[in-house]
Amino acid sequence: MQSLLTATRSNQLSLGKRAFSSSVSRWQAVPQQKPVLMKEFKIYRWNPDQPEKKPELESFKIDLNQTGPMVLDALIKIKNEVDPTLTFRRSCREGICGSCAMNIDGQNTLACLCRIDREGSKDTKIYPLPHMYVVKDLVPDMTLFYKQYKSIQPWLQNDNPPSGTEHLQSPEDRKKLDGMYECILCACCSTSCPSYWWNQDEYLCPATLMQAYRWLADSRDTNGAERREKLQNEMSLYRCHTIFNCSRTCPKGLNPAQAIAQLKLELATE
Amino acid sequence: MSIARSGLQKDVLKLYRRALRMANSKPEAVRPKFRLFVQYTFRSNASKVSPRDVSSIEHLLRKGGKQLEQFEDSAVKDCFLSQAMVEWGLNGPGTRKALE
Repeated sequence: MQSLLTATRSNQLSLGKRAFSSSVSRWQAVPQQKPVLMKEFKIYRWNPDQPEKKPELESFKIDLNQTGPMVLDALIKIKNEVDPTLTFRRSCREGICGSCAMNIDGQNTLACLCRIDREGSKDTKIYPLPHMYVVKDLVPDMTLFYKQYKSIQPWLQNDNPPSGTEHLQSPEDRKKLDGMYECILCACCSTSCPSYWWNQDEYLCPATLMQAYRWLADSRDTNGAERREKLQNEMSLYRCHTIFNCSRTCPKGLNPAQAIAQLKLELATE
Repeated sequence: MSIARSGLQKDVLKLYRRALRMANSKPEAVRPKFRLFVQYTFRSNASKVSPRDVSSIEHLLRKGGKQLEQFEDSAVKDCFLSQAMVEWGLNGPGTRKALE
């Protein structure tokens, strides 16, 4: 009898303090074991310091569950943890700077706006923008692109600016610029255009043409006649054959093809 | 009778000629410096690649063209000569000696 009593007492005692494994806090703290989801990235590599070595695709395997959702996250992870010599441009990681434009699975897009395809069995191929000279790895040479952009004089030109006040503009006139001023000059559209591939030196690319129209359409700009005159030749504008690759690929969802069409209309009817 | 040259060879010589002209467009006092810089850069790059390695020659051509464009700016009035360049210059750069 005595022994039974002590047994129940000790039982009660042990019931009084619960084991750590069954306490509430332990329940909540169980780490969610994410399964390992390996994915292969094949990335274009070329090093200018060894120009005799041909460009090649290098394969990297990383765990998608330890990575952010975008391709840029994966690239940064590879650069940080696997191969620090991997070279690419990036800055804002939210699709507003246009630095990380590259060709991902055959589509020109911004790496920071492109979700990783979570299908683990399929690899993702990453190349620099097509038909551009490569500086290193995923970094294309944008000199020509910027030169062309400069050639259309992308700034406000007005002979007699209003004295003492701002340039005023009606809401309707302002609306004409929507869908054009948002362009971040990432060159995705330009490098997807076959016409631009074959005539890089003379054909102004879709991005540049859209900006050319952006300044033509601006009600505050008075230099329209001269701007139109510059485009009035065979190569600058009319190499556009309405292929529409530019509109399809634009990572910002803009429509350069429409701007070019309006530009053509304006030039044809002046 | 001149030697028959490939397009690439012509491009390389064209770049070299342009670079030498750039050197001549600089102020008299610094002209030898620019000249030595051009000669050294050209020869050292040329000795690094095989004449058959077309793609790397093209890459060097583009690189050189871009560099030259910056040097052609009239605001550029002087250039830096490294120790290696000066030593190479003392040994007579005109003698077409390949760099080791």
